[in-house]
Amino acid sequence: MEKKPSPGKEEGEGGEEEEEEEEESGPEGALGKSPFQLTAEDVYDISYVVGRDLMAITGDSRDVATRVTQLQFKIVRILEMLEALVNDCNVTVEELRMERDSLRKEVEGLRSEGQPPNTEEVNPGTNKIVVDLTDPNRPRFTMQELRDVLHERNKLKSQLLVAQEELQCYKSGLIPLNNSQLARRDPQALVTSPSSSKGGKQEKTIIRKLFSFRSGKRT
Amino acid sequence: MLKRMVLVRMESNLMVLAPPVGRDRIISDFPKWYTPEACLQLKDHFHRQVRAACQEQRTGTVGLKVSKVVVLGDLYVGKTSLINRFCKDVFDRDYKATIGVDFEIERFQIAGVPYSLQIWDTAGQEKFKCIASAYYRGAQVIITAFDLADIQTLGHTRQWLADAQRENESGSSFVFLVGTKKDLLSGPACERTEMDAVHLANEMQAEYWSVSAKTGENVKAFFTRVAALAFEQSVLQELEKGSCHAQIRAGASISIRREESSVASQEGASGSSPGCC
Ligand SMILES: Nc1nc2c(ncn2[C@@H]2O[C@H](COP(=O)(O)OP(=O)(O)O)[C@@H](O)[C@H]2O)c(=O)[nH]1
Ligand SMILES: [Mg+2]
Repeated sequence: MEKKPSPGKEEGEGGEEEEEEEEESGPEGALGKSPFQLTAEDVYDISYVVGRDLMAITGDSRDVATRVTQLQFKIVRILEMLEALVNDCNVTVEELRMERDSLRKEVEGLRSEGQPPNTEEVNPGTNKIVVDLTDPNRPRFTMQELRDVLHERNKLKSQLLVAQEELQCYKSGLIPLNNSQLARRDPQALVTSPSSSKGGKQEKTIIRKLFSFRSGKRT
Repeated sequence: MLKRMVLVRMESNLMVLAPPVGRDRIISDFPKWYTPEACLQLKDHFHRQVRAACQEQRTGTVGLKVSKVVVLGDLYVGKTSLINRFCKDVFDRDYKATIGVDFEIERFQIAGVPYSLQIWDTAGQEKFKCIASAYYRGAQVIITAFDLADIQTLGHTRQWLADAQRENESGSSFVFLVGTKKDLLSGPACERTEMDAVHLANEMQAEYWSVSAKTGENVKAFFTRVAALAFEQSVLQELEKGSCHAQIRAGASISIRREESSVASQEGASGSSPGCC
């Protein structure tokens, strides 16, 4: 497909002051923080505090030690997850901030000049539009891509609805849990790709799905 | 639209599994029209054959079937709000444009038989037409909506209907003309617009309804009517193909049949639907 230009991230003059919020209350301070202000550094502080406390419990007893060790693995895992979440979240915030800044600049530019830059230099001819690559809201996707995304979403939505209905059947005791021989609506009967699909190949898939779903054996 | 159904034979009867529906989705008496001056059917009871078939559980695959309803009309007339009022019983004052197409599934129990509608919401924006129109195909019901407070949108319904009918066999779909935002006008102004609409509905061979998603007025009655008409048609089509089902029942333990949904009965019952007889 088409080559997409990378998002227009400004370099150099990004001159925003970063709000630095250093809490000087030692590693314990991290636990007192709002989860939404947590940084990866705080996660490491929490990890240190929990580890230290675990060591303290362990003492001499063998039995306690093994159990604490098991617990420790779990805690480590949870902390890793937390670390990943925090990092991801901060990256998103950073991206949004950059988008906001470039939008601001765009608005300022438009205000001061009364018209978007570049338009005088380039004359694209009829039936063409000029796309400002620094505009975060510029058209980026093709109609075909949108069509595919919508189709995919509709498919997933119908699968969700079928699964919810199924769940309700189990909940209301309509389907005994061990029964694998019942008729159900086929999720593919719901969402219909706009283009008519070919029969033969899919029939098998539906049967396979039907039975694999019911018997819990995935093929 | 090619619909696929999976039927699994249990003992001697086809079983349709569906969780119970809410009480307000149970239809036992045939729902009435909005105005006799523009309605698709005047009768106030189910077709005798249909009633009998439901009682004797001879409705075949109808219970497995999901009938397609498409809702069309200009941007901002209140299509999404109408669907949301019915399916989720909510109303949002703020406007959010529908991207391309969206859908909801609504389950009913009609004359004792489970029945589902898949209600497609469309964008109404010119730029999405090429995407949305692909979803018009195989619609058993076409709903064209306009804003009672914006008379221009009424005129445009003609074009929306033409677009939808281009994708469907002629005469194969029920057509409804729906005036929205009834809460915004009253008295003579409302009556005048309704008269124009009834006139247009007759031209379009459509049934006319005035509704308000905001107050909920007529919304449930309208969709109940849509469901009942579609259901009755589905059962009648099923009965026409009765012999096929006898075969399915007697023979295979698993059968898959496909049909060109609403189109099938137009072409006659005798074997034009693939994979059946
Ligand atoms: N007063 C009133 N406003 C409505 C009604 N239905 C929709 N609206 C408003 O009209 C606007 C457009 O509605 P929407 O359903 O998104 O229109 P669509 O583009 O046709 O899907 C929204 O701001 C709704 O809140 C109604 O019945 N009464
Ligand atoms: Mg909408």
